[in-house]
Amino acid sequence: MKKVAKNKFSQLWNSINKDYELFLPIEKDGKVNFSLWKDEDKINLDAIKTNVSPKNIIFPQSETYLKFKTDGKKLSLENVGGKKEEYVLFGVRPCDAVSFNLIDNVFLREPIDRFYEERRNKGTVVSMACLEPEETCFCSSFGIEPETAPKGVDVFTWDIGQTILWEAQTEKGNILTEKLGDIFEEVTEQDINELEKLKHSIKDKVSSLPLSDVDPKKIDGDLKDIFESEVWDEISKSCLGCGSCTYVCPTCHCYDIQDFDGGKCGERFRCWDSCMFSDFTRMAHGNPRTSQKERFRQRFMHKLVYYPNNHQVYACVGCGRCIEKCPVNMNIVKVIKKLGGEK
Amino acid sequence: MEKITVKVRETARQAFSSGEVDKILGFAKGDFWQDSYPIFITNENEVDSLIWDSFCINNLSKYLIKELKNTQKIGVFLKGCDSLAFNQLLQDNRIEADRVVIYGVPCVGMIDAEKVKKEGLNKGLLEVKRSGDEISFVTKDGDKNVSGRQFDYDKCLECNHPNPVVYKELMRDEVSREVNKEERFKDVEEIEAMSAEERFSYWSQQFSKCIRCNACRNICPACSCETCVFDNAAAGVSDKAKVDSEDQFFHIIRAYHVAGRCVNCGECSRVCPAGIPLHKLNHKIIKDINELYGEYEAGLDPSKGAPLVTYKLEDIDPFEGHKGGK
Amino acid sequence: MSLESKEDAMVNKDEFKPLIVAFCCNWCSYAGADLAGTSRLNYPANVRIIRVPCSCRVNPNFVLHAFQRGADGVVIAGCHPGDCHYSTGNYYTRRRFTLFSNLLDYIGIEKDRFKVDWISAAEANKFATVMNDVLEKVHKLGPNRKLRDARWKR
Repeated sequence: MKKVAKNKFSQLWNSINKDYELFLPIEKDGKVNFSLWKDEDKINLDAIKTNVSPKNIIFPQSETYLKFKTDGKKLSLENVGGKKEEYVLFGVRPCDAVSFNLIDNVFLREPIDRFYEERRNKGTVVSMACLEPEETCFCSSFGIEPETAPKGVDVFTWDIGQTILWEAQTEKGNILTEKLGDIFEEVTEQDINELEKLKHSIKDKVSSLPLSDVDPKKIDGDLKDIFESEVWDEISKSCLGCGSCTYVCPTCHCYDIQDFDGGKCGERFRCWDSCMFSDFTRMAHGNPRTSQKERFRQRFMHKLVYYPNNHQVYACVGCGRCIEKCPVNMNIVKVIKKLGGEK
Repeated sequence: MEKITVKVRETARQAFSSGEVDKILGFAKGDFWQDSYPIFITNENEVDSLIWDSFCINNLSKYLIKELKNTQKIGVFLKGCDSLAFNQLLQDNRIEADRVVIYGVPCVGMIDAEKVKKEGLNKGLLEVKRSGDEISFVTKDGDKNVSGRQFDYDKCLECNHPNPVVYKELMRDEVSREVNKEERFKDVEEIEAMSAEERFSYWSQQFSKCIRCNACRNICPACSCETCVFDNAAAGVSDKAKVDSEDQFFHIIRAYHVAGRCVNCGECSRVCPAGIPLHKLNHKIIKDINELYGEYEAGLDPSKGAPLVTYKLEDIDPFEGHKGGK
Repeated sequence: MSLESKEDAMVNKDEFKPLIVAFCCNWCSYAGADLAGTSRLNYPANVRIIRVPCSCRVNPNFVLHAFQRGADGVVIAGCHPGDCHYSTGNYYTRRRFTLFSNLLDYIGIEKDRFKVDWISAAEANKFATVMNDVLEKVHKLGPNRKLRDARWKR
């Protein structure tokens, strides 16, 4: 474990930027989002949740992967897409870091999504512990402990006041640590004590959060019972089918493939899609889910029943963004509780 | 319990027992102090879940189109802005007036949870009570009382219609608020004062924040097309690529499509996850319509035609300028 | 091999050939354009005319699409108000595009890039003058980068 003083941050960013692209939580117009760091940006490492999740970095909102052009009778194709540069994603909270694993489960299984794989391999994830979890956070309901390093992050850090403690977790993390060289200082006995106190304080705060009683494991009934439950009629009524929840959610990963028709040339790209949209998964005969209730049910069945059946883990990390962003105050917590998932 | 909640429940109970309605659209309280969400109740036993407080921001008129398809008579609690939307839907022939019973709720303004959080007043906050402009933050460690409108949504501060314009009965006394007519379009004038380059830079920066979630479109009461042009692959405009021109296209066309029908409720800006000030686009169109075609407020008088589907022979013609040869 | 080996050829202003898209209504402006042609009046070759039955057929989508796909200027030409072949079409055009051109101006698109005019079938001179005017103004403004779809190659 090492430490670096917060007043050396500017040096740290420049140092990282020499060998990597650097993504940090940057504040613009009052909203904090992960973006590519430039010198004049206002970095905000205190905001617990970024406005939109960082999944945009590993799974971009739209990604062109094929370009084509016709020249008379000749057709030329060009593979593009993926990511060439190595990058560091700094300041990811444990919930968002766990969401990367959840998306990995889908995209890194056979057949492997090579663009996603390349982006994941080129990235070094530096995660930060959450000092003051917000009242809309419920990561503990999914087994996430925001004071400890979740599986898969390359480096984990803790803010203990004037300095941050830095601990590499993987080989990639070690490489980054070495590259940064002497910006680090040695950790003292006092620092370790501070860290233990901090970890305890975070644990206490998490257990006293208002949503800590949410427990998806208590949802009872088998797939067919939950699917046919009358609960869905009631809770889907107010849903407008907008898609805000899916786009701010760190674990939602549905995408569409579209072509851009440029006349004699064009591009094929993939883009985020939302199961809330009325044209989602539309096929030759039409949309198999014609009512908003069916679409609403699909989203939550996927997160709470289908995905856990396939991967033995829930497809939600308890970040609480859907609670804050839904225009009509619907969210996964209400769904879980209605299905019986409360301690 | 607040007086208004008592009145709301009483009215609902009465409505069900007299058979006046088959369903009522109202608000219930969720887990958090700011969580007041729309509910749909169908019998007297559910009436006690109804509440009314300073977080009942949603426009319930929006649900009428869908609900009227499978319910004969619906009762709905509407604020001033909501009632304008109701009239607009009538004008658009999307709903039938005689199947809806409106319980109007005069509104002094809704509280913006973000502003409360910014002041740090959300720590341990249990409930927010409001009487006129006297606000009481009830927390675990005691109450904090505040006077004034500093926590209201920006759009509520510029509200022209705190009282419903159409209703069967009112839930409480009408609100009287001064409206500064001179300052009405200040936000639009600020942008108009910029140069073309500055304007483009401002708007393209705003539009680049867009994540194309469609929240603005889905919450808008004027956007009620069965199949939106942006969901219709056959229309050729539904490109979902994250490209500047596509984002600009979406917002310009959406603003244009609701021109003359936008009731200025400001919900589009409120729900935008990226914080784009969309209402400034719609506000500009409203200002233009007022200047060019006479004062017009969508939703005030459903019998008057909307500006874009009517015309006058003497309309202003800015295109007549070009004197070519004969 | 990159498909984008050609650099953007718009660097030299002298070589800049603006692309103007003109929506002309079938009964008046298109006939006017025809007359301009048969009268051997000079109007620029880089005006691409799209014939529509009436100027009110033009959807603001079309205007934006034209800008997206590389147009530097867009013109809508219709019958004089009162003379519409379909009686009332151009009244709606007038309202619609007054608002729309104000909106485009508000977004920051230069006023000279989007023009609406009334050109009757006999006004061949006017057609030529309007097109030449627009071309000159657009040429002065330079290539249009705003609203342009970066993926579109011209």
